[in-house]
Amino acid sequence: MRVEYINPFVEAAYNVLTEVLATDVKRGNLFLKSATKSVMGVAAIVGLAGEVEGRVLFDMSKQTAIKIASVMNMEELAELDDLVKATISELANMITAQAVTKLHELGFRFDLTPPALITGDNMEVSDQEVEALIVPMETPHGSIEINVAVRERS
Amino acid sequence: MSTAKLDPLVKGTKESDKLKKIDFKMISFTLSGRDYGINILKVKEIRKAGNFTKVPNTPLYVKGVDNLRGDIIPVIDLRIMFNLPAESKESSSLENIIILRLDSLVLGIIVDTIEKVVGISSDAIQPPHPIFGDINIKYISGVVENDNRLYIILDVDRIFGQPEEVAPPPVASPAVAEDAEATEIEAAAPQAVSLDFKFISENLSTFNQFYVTPFNTPWVQTRLQSWKDSRKAKNLDFQFTQKDDGEEFLSNFYSPFTGQLWSAEAVNELAKSLKFEGNNLVIWNPGCGRGYETYSLAMLMQTCFRDSTYKIWANDLDLLNISTAPSLILDEDELDLAWKEFTVPTKNGLQFHADIKNRVLFEFHDINNMNPFAQIHLVVMRDVLSFQKPNDQDKILGEISEKVRSGGYLLVGSNEVVNHEEWKSIGQAPWSLYQKI
Repeated sequence: MRVEYINPFVEAAYNVLTEVLATDVKRGNLFLKSATKSVMGVAAIVGLAGEVEGRVLFDMSKQTAIKIASVMNMEELAELDDLVKATISELANMITAQAVTKLHELGFRFDLTPPALITGDNMEVSDQEVEALIVPMETPHGSIEINVAVRERS
Repeated sequence: MSTAKLDPLVKGTKESDKLKKIDFKMISFTLSGRDYGINILKVKEIRKAGNFTKVPNTPLYVKGVDNLRGDIIPVIDLRIMFNLPAESKESSSLENIIILRLDSLVLGIIVDTIEKVVGISSDAIQPPHPIFGDINIKYISGVVENDNRLYIILDVDRIFGQPEEVAPPPVASPAVAEDAEATEIEAAAPQAVSLDFKFISENLSTFNQFYVTPFNTPWVQTRLQSWKDSRKAKNLDFQFTQKDDGEEFLSNFYSPFTGQLWSAEAVNELAKSLKFEGNNLVIWNPGCGRGYETYSLAMLMQTCFRDSTYKIWANDLDLLNISTAPSLILDEDELDLAWKEFTVPTKNGLQFHADIKNRVLFEFHDINNMNPFAQIHLVVMRDVLSFQKPNDQDKILGEISEKVRSGGYLLVGSNEVVNHEEWKSIGQAPWSLYQKI
């Protein structure tokens, strides 16, 4: 993945999560992965298009999703209902949008698709012909992995 | 020899901090109640076997030959060889055997019991002491204490290796047929060089993730000699004890202009060997580090192939290095004057012009993952493959052969050689350049 793209995503994830959760968020070490990777339980996907092609995937456990949605909605949510799903989709949208805005300022033109949310057990994600950058974020409510797979349009 | 005599030695080696760094592993076993060790690198496997086929006219200690999955290997009873009392076993019972792999010889040795793998620090190994009467001192490479037990490390290369020195310890029967024994051991005829080479290869991969393969063997072989000489001068063993030793060993492996821009003279020299077809040239530069190599390639294209448009894809797995590459700051004093026209001053210092930067694409990428390139004109991969695991080296080289168009080029490190049917060497020093047939 082009180096210029890395920071906007990392910064956006950090900024948005710190802001909406109003707590400290820690970033883990970035790494690359091309093989099939398991998904923790809740995955929000935002597609990217324009000068590049790819997608950003936000991966977390169901518990984490419910806790984060509870904090963002300022009410205690007990199960993975529509409100939780809508909240997580929105979170994915906010982070990706902020990253794309930063990239735009650097002169890269990206478009994004509306987020899609996938939930279930024992899921895996695999990317053909593109390696994914994994940005692990640790929050007090659990960890979120941001999985960015983008490549230049040739 | 009594155990009491050993006690001072045991105390002498009791320095627990010396044991922390484990860089030597041995298989431990017993011979008539005493602990011995053999370097694990010499051991192929352990197994139980019995009913060996006797070979007539051999020394007593040659128990016979054994069939190891189709390979016939000699089996030697170490207890008899060293004149130690052997536990009497029924002839049908199985013996504990350590299968050794020496330079060109595989053989089995019978011992009393095989215990475990013991990891120790090579610093803790003490030279053999003359009081070890049981076994000729020249067959002992050292003694080491671990867990309150004293292990005698046998030098199997000395024992089974050099025929001219193997005067076997006196065996009970004087009717030893000399020539049978000679055939036995002749096969071993070790070359000290190749053994040391093996050690160094092992060291390089352990400490420095540098993997010795045909790709870099010639350099390692040449370097080994000067290395041994320089270590000897410093009174040090040629084997590494830490990563820095490996760095020192590799210090002159790296190609010229590593970590700096190539000189205009060198670039012109390289350009003479290159001839591109087509207009949109694709250049791939894996392992670009901080980007000096990549920008040098851009300079090559700008000055020597003005009429072609090109794109350079540069990758590295080191996030810190690759992150600084797009806005590399140049040292004005060290900059070759020929490159001056391609730079612009910025508030941080001298940088390459945006026109150049637009042609270069730096990516955070692992070469072992999918490489999405095709129809490449030139691959520049200096001092990169040697640091990939042997299997990955082959894989990557195969992938490059597939992705480079015919007539395309591959530039590897000055001390690396490509032996591949699809590539022919065309470069002149210092450039190790290959063209795809």
